[in-house]
Amino acid sequence: MKFADFVCFEATVPELQTSDRDGVIEEMVSSLDKAGKLGKGECKEIARAVIKREKEASTGMGKGVAVPHVKCKLVKDVIAAIGLSSAGIDFSALDKQPVYSVILLISPVDEPDKHLQAMENIFRHLQHEKFRKFLRQCRSAEHVEDLLREADENSSL
Amino acid sequence: MQAEQDSLEKVVCETEVEIKNADGLHMRPAMQFVDIANQFKSDITVSNNETEVDGKSIMQMSMLAATCGTKLKIKAEGSDAQKVISALRELVEEKLFGEPAP
Amino acid sequence: MEIKKGVAVSPGISIAKALIIDSEEYRIPRREIKASERTTEIQRVRNAFKGAIGELTKLEAAHVKTEGSKIKDIFAVHMRFLHDRSLRKRITDLVHSESVTAEYAVSTILREIASHFSKAKDAYISERAADIYDIERRLLIQLLDRKREDVEHLTEEVTIIARELSPIQTAGFDRKFVKGIASDAGGRTSHAAIVARSLGIPAVVALEDLTESVSGTDTVIVDGNRGIVIVNPDDQTIQQYQEYSKEFAELEHKLDAIREKPAVTRDGVVVTLLGNIEFHDEAEAVLQKGGEGIGLYRTEYLYLNRQTEPTEEEHYQAYAETVSVLQDRPVVIRTLDLGADKYTQRKRFAPEPNPFLGLRSIRFCLQNLMMFKTQLRAILRASVLGDVKIMFPLITNLQESMQVKMILRDVMDDLDEESIAFNRDIQIGIMIETPSSALTAYSLARDVNFFSIGTNDLTQYTLAVDRGNELVSTLYSSADPAVLRLIRTVIQDAHKAQIDISVCGEMASEPEYVMLLLGMGIRTLSLTAPMIPEIKQIIRSVTVEDCNNVARKVLGMNSERQISNYLRAAARKILPEAF
Repeated sequence: MKFADFVCFEATVPELQTSDRDGVIEEMVSSLDKAGKLGKGECKEIARAVIKREKEASTGMGKGVAVPHVKCKLVKDVIAAIGLSSAGIDFSALDKQPVYSVILLISPVDEPDKHLQAMENIFRHLQHEKFRKFLRQCRSAEHVEDLLREADENSSL
Repeated sequence: MQAEQDSLEKVVCETEVEIKNADGLHMRPAMQFVDIANQFKSDITVSNNETEVDGKSIMQMSMLAATCGTKLKIKAEGSDAQKVISALRELVEEKLFGEPAP
Repeated sequence: MEIKKGVAVSPGISIAKALIIDSEEYRIPRREIKASERTTEIQRVRNAFKGAIGELTKLEAAHVKTEGSKIKDIFAVHMRFLHDRSLRKRITDLVHSESVTAEYAVSTILREIASHFSKAKDAYISERAADIYDIERRLLIQLLDRKREDVEHLTEEVTIIARELSPIQTAGFDRKFVKGIASDAGGRTSHAAIVARSLGIPAVVALEDLTESVSGTDTVIVDGNRGIVIVNPDDQTIQQYQEYSKEFAELEHKLDAIREKPAVTRDGVVVTLLGNIEFHDEAEAVLQKGGEGIGLYRTEYLYLNRQTEPTEEEHYQAYAETVSVLQDRPVVIRTLDLGADKYTQRKRFAPEPNPFLGLRSIRFCLQNLMMFKTQLRAILRASVLGDVKIMFPLITNLQESMQVKMILRDVMDDLDEESIAFNRDIQIGIMIETPSSALTAYSLARDVNFFSIGTNDLTQYTLAVDRGNELVSTLYSSADPAVLRLIRTVIQDAHKAQIDISVCGEMASEPEYVMLLLGMGIRTLSLTAPMIPEIKQIIRSVTVEDCNNVARKVLGMNSERQISNYLRAAARKILPEAF
């Protein structure tokens, strides 16, 4: 699975307004909603589910990246949004360092394999320092889209 | 009439197939290939651009050592040539020798 | 007399005549014949094909019920080759054009084909050379009338000597006559090792060029305890080994007597001894030898020697069977620890220049989440059956441990969704087997419930030594000060974080290291079942105070040699029989 298959580029938040974890999650969920990817009135419920899961175990996986995610009956397909923060967000990450890049992933309940395929793709690229650095440096939604599309073409990015 | 029959018997068909199963044309797929090839009367040759071998011989087929992604040219010569081509194409490209894709 | 050192993979001692079963080693000299004899030789080639087809047909019939489809496929492929006219023609053409014997022609042509395969870049295709050698063997048996010597028709006790054992060669092994196994190639998970352990036959592998030093009439001693093979031993050596073998049996017997006794030091400190297993049927042996659980359940065998990936159900059945033997005792299941260099079903890989530093183990799993998920689901499902723990190999940094936990949690969500029961609080552990994880143990410890130190890989990676490479294997030693310092760090960090720590590498089964490990603070060891009684005996003979002294002294020493000598001397005082 490639980024272009599940990332909603219209929902990219190039500069997150909030700086706390829950606020960031709400901001990104509502951005996905504005892009028309979520059903009506489901916004709050999804954000609540992501936050709940995040409280149980942080998805801040170190090196400035967090991958909050949840499975949700309300979506039909795997959908993701990218959010960036130049100030850094406290995600209670394992390495106790702030998070600068957030990949929010919402997956349907009945297709667990698709979720894993998306995760596999995210893991593969996040292990490259260059990718993490480039992602953090993006200043606009277009930059993010360009980077992810380039990563789709070039597996060593 | 005579001429037509001659030409019927000397039908020559050719096609190119691509090995699509992950492990390539190892022993078991080679065995399936020659088993099908041997069901036909036509002479069958298979080539990978470098060598051309007898499609009915497991030794020669397996020695092509065709890995996944290799393209092979199959040529059949004989009255059932058309059938040969479609049976072998099905085995290689559709059934993938009953093996997983990469 | 020639002494060869390899890797011991199945314990015990055997003394028997050699039976070389690799056709590669039938050296067929070129012998020219008169032009008039060519017809006879060509007829001999034809008869050999006919005879081999007949033998194979019989063999096929005998295996119809007993063997899996893999063996049947191999037989079927061989059959096609024996029926291949163009193969026969190449051989008879050679007899005709060069006036050589049937044996020479068969051997020459089949080796040409085999070498064509071994040169293939694709590992899976190059391995097919083994099939060609099998076919050569079948034909040569006909020509050389070597039926008597075939493993399938044994009448006397033998030591099997091979370059590498193929499944087809081991299919007919008879425990009654096959007393020992020794092979040039192979490792702990090689086919020879697996078969030997499951049949309880002493075996040594990785002997490099053993087949070049043995001929069919030689007597061979296989010492599966120390990894030694002796070719044509003198009378004195044979006598020594007969005694050793008797002593070994007696020691085993004596040690079995302490099975029921606890592993407690003389000053009352309790040590937990667990078993390392590969197959679920080894679980019984762990209990028999006094093990209190499984500290390392390797799961690679589920993936090896097969065409398709194991299903969730196959995983589950294997785990469930093991857990049912252990009941409430702990079972630590380690997820797939194979390199991409080994054959895996999912993908074909371009050979990596440096497989040990490449896409292997947990790295491979994290890039193949679908496959990984199958195993995780099965482990989680089995977690309600007993005290199942999950352990991830080759974690080298926090990100990886974070990722595996994230995936484990996602898989738990799936099970929840399907209302499948599992233990939500399953204990999660990681293997510490690289310098990077040892040096960051303090932070990894916050993320997991337990550590298990895999001393084999830790030693290899720390010292940059491939122990299978005989040119450098002498540099491999877990007694190296660098390795010991890392181990000490890991133990200290685990204690600080108050998480469980054990040692599951070979170090745990080597008597000379027991005192040192206890002295460094280890209280749980996981080791191969046959060694449990001996290690328990040592534990019962020492005090922790002695052990602390040993550790203090050793950590102050700065050469591997000094440390090894000191440890060996210290252990010899405790349990002289073991050395």
